[in-house]
Amino acid sequence: MSLGKVAVIASAQTELRPAWRDAQHIDLISAVVTSVFKGTGLSLDDVDFVIDSGSDVLDGRSISNCGFLGALGAHHKEEARVEEDGLWAALYGANKIRAGSSSLGLIVAYSKPSESDVDAYWSSQCEPFYQRPVGFSQRAASGMQAQRYLGTHAVSQRDLAGLVARRWADAARHGKVAIDAVPDVEGVLDSGNGATPLTELMLARPVDGAVAVLLANEDIALRHSRNPVFVTGMGNAMDSHAFGSRTAGKLASCEAAAAMAYKKAGWDRPKADIAEVSASSAVSELMAIEALGLAGYGRGLGAALGSKVRINVSGGALPADPIMATGLIRLANAANQMSHPELYGSEVPSRAIVHGAGGVAMQSNCVFTLEV
Amino acid sequence: MGRHVGIVGVGQTHHSRRRTDVSQAGLVREAVNRALADAKLTIEDIDSVVVASGPVLFAAVNQPEKWVVDAIGAQGKPVVRVTSGGGAGFAGALAGYYQVAGGYAERTLVVAYDKLSEGQLQYSISTLYDPFWGREFAVGIMGFSAAYWRARMDVLGHTEEAAAMVSVKNHKNAIANPYAHFKKEVTIEEVLESKPLCWPIKLLDVPPISDGAAAVVLASESVAAKSTDRPAWIQGIAYCCEADNAPERSMLLSEPLALAARQVYRAAGITNPRRQFDVVEVQEPYSCFELSYYESLGLCPPGGAAELIASGATQLDGDIPVNPSGGTMGANPIGAVGLIRLIEAATQVMGRSENHQIKDAKLALVQSGGGWANLRGCAVLSA
Repeated sequence: MSLGKVAVIASAQTELRPAWRDAQHIDLISAVVTSVFKGTGLSLDDVDFVIDSGSDVLDGRSISNCGFLGALGAHHKEEARVEEDGLWAALYGANKIRAGSSSLGLIVAYSKPSESDVDAYWSSQCEPFYQRPVGFSQRAASGMQAQRYLGTHAVSQRDLAGLVARRWADAARHGKVAIDAVPDVEGVLDSGNGATPLTELMLARPVDGAVAVLLANEDIALRHSRNPVFVTGMGNAMDSHAFGSRTAGKLASCEAAAAMAYKKAGWDRPKADIAEVSASSAVSELMAIEALGLAGYGRGLGAALGSKVRINVSGGALPADPIMATGLIRLANAANQMSHPELYGSEVPSRAIVHGAGGVAMQSNCVFTLEV
Repeated sequence: MGRHVGIVGVGQTHHSRRRTDVSQAGLVREAVNRALADAKLTIEDIDSVVVASGPVLFAAVNQPEKWVVDAIGAQGKPVVRVTSGGGAGFAGALAGYYQVAGGYAERTLVVAYDKLSEGQLQYSISTLYDPFWGREFAVGIMGFSAAYWRARMDVLGHTEEAAAMVSVKNHKNAIANPYAHFKKEVTIEEVLESKPLCWPIKLLDVPPISDGAAAVVLASESVAAKSTDRPAWIQGIAYCCEADNAPERSMLLSEPLALAARQVYRAAGITNPRRQFDVVEVQEPYSCFELSYYESLGLCPPGGAAELIASGATQLDGDIPVNPSGGTMGANPIGAVGLIRLIEAATQVMGRSENHQIKDAKLALVQSGGGWANLRGCAVLSA
């Protein structure tokens, strides 16, 4: 039995700001839910289901999806909450459409870390017996990853600062990200200690924002979208919780997720024109690029800045990390580059890799391949 | 349409008020081991895993799937967690169903749990409400549940006795359930005279608070036979919602449940639920809700639930037995309950219920729900 094809036919995103002081969660969510239909000829009435990503901990609210169902446009529809980055919500939605029981799904992810304690969000993910008592959390893990990476490979702290400066400049240009001033290399190096050897700006910057993506079956995609972008492969995998048990120097679960996605897409190698990659730090972006097969081990930096595969044209997660929405924003950005190449002033990309991550030191990873 | 999906293995813990001998991870492991053994599989045979649990504040570990992954033995595999308050276990099964139906996996393990002894339950639930206008007056989950019941009493003339009959039936049925921990027969008088918690809800209308886990293995048609020659096939499954402040929200009938039932019945070819189903399992967070589900699921006409329970039709020997397992009155590890109901219905159509096997059960209905009484779903299982 052949399963249906699934396409990204539209997306909408709020500006990503350090703090949306004058907007509540429901304002950010309804902003993207109302604007995602523009130009599609479709409306909320056509949507079969809503799948959303958000965090009870960041929201300060149990079953927080329950309070946002109206804003999500979910009233009297099927709704599901995936408490992981929105790219996993898209994976769920794609499976639902492939199974043939639904034809149009709305995927929403949002975050308002400005109202929360981000360090507590991460440390509360650590198990209570061995990790929490010693204060292990996202910063410690990121620092250890970076120390090992810089100690093993010919990459310096200054190189990382160069990557960060480039990402911020790209975000200011393409990413719909609120940026007062783009930092230069010295600015990144002088931004204060984040997690030795990473400076504060080498860690992904938490921002507020929301994103919505419309997923459709082939029939709707061809009738309602000028340039539908098809999801041709998906994979996800989770690593061990114990940081010390993970393969040092690699993101093994990202490799597994990528292998799964490429196999489903029928790719024998990561043959993409563009890639949108998530990251919790400058080093984990390089590790993700390597795990996705876009560069050999220790060679991520060249690929990150190079032009063979254009990586993170949007600026990626370093300048703007709306935790729980970051991966779905990568999907929206990649699809946008493919269906509206004129906005990016580049050749028309026909294949993309999209990556999302969750957990301390990117314990869990999700990979999509997109094709037009 | 998508691929056919069957339940080929099930497992649950022996639920209890407080498990001090295991952590959340240990609890999960017990249920997973039992489900895998039941399906004659090892974790190597599993393509993907869905974890479901109640709100993370219940047990104070954020995104706990990232911790329990090692106890499941699923490192390196696709693992994701879905949550939906009280209906989390059912929502997890739904997500797993689509992984198999959509061709993402041949076999998906779904595990659901809650370890409610480790947190402040009603406090956690109270944070469900809007921080600006909801928390000023709404506390826990009992107040609005009482309002739902009161509306039925005012409009339909239903009495406290009707809900007491549900409590008596489910408490009695739970006694034979080897996984239940609250086993005490109660009488209608005892229920009516028990301490009012939030009138008309009284102590014996309320299930216990439990630690427990449950797991199922879902399989595609092509690999199901390796585990069993009699899977419980999922003929339809849906989970709908209504927005929390919708002013038109009905207090009498669960509209999201009625919507889900309409979808599921169409998929499964159900035109006369009362006659067609051999057995029903519902998640009744308070006795009164079972009555509203009778109507929302079409087991009786709107307003007919009090008559249905009084007729004895939903008793073990009735024509439409509801909760032969005892429902939540025997055990209530909230995030797992939706999956436990699915397991109890599955073992009925597989012909191997461990408590009250309904003779020749071929078609079963499962209901689950959560949130602010606004997330509701159901599924149809067949032999």
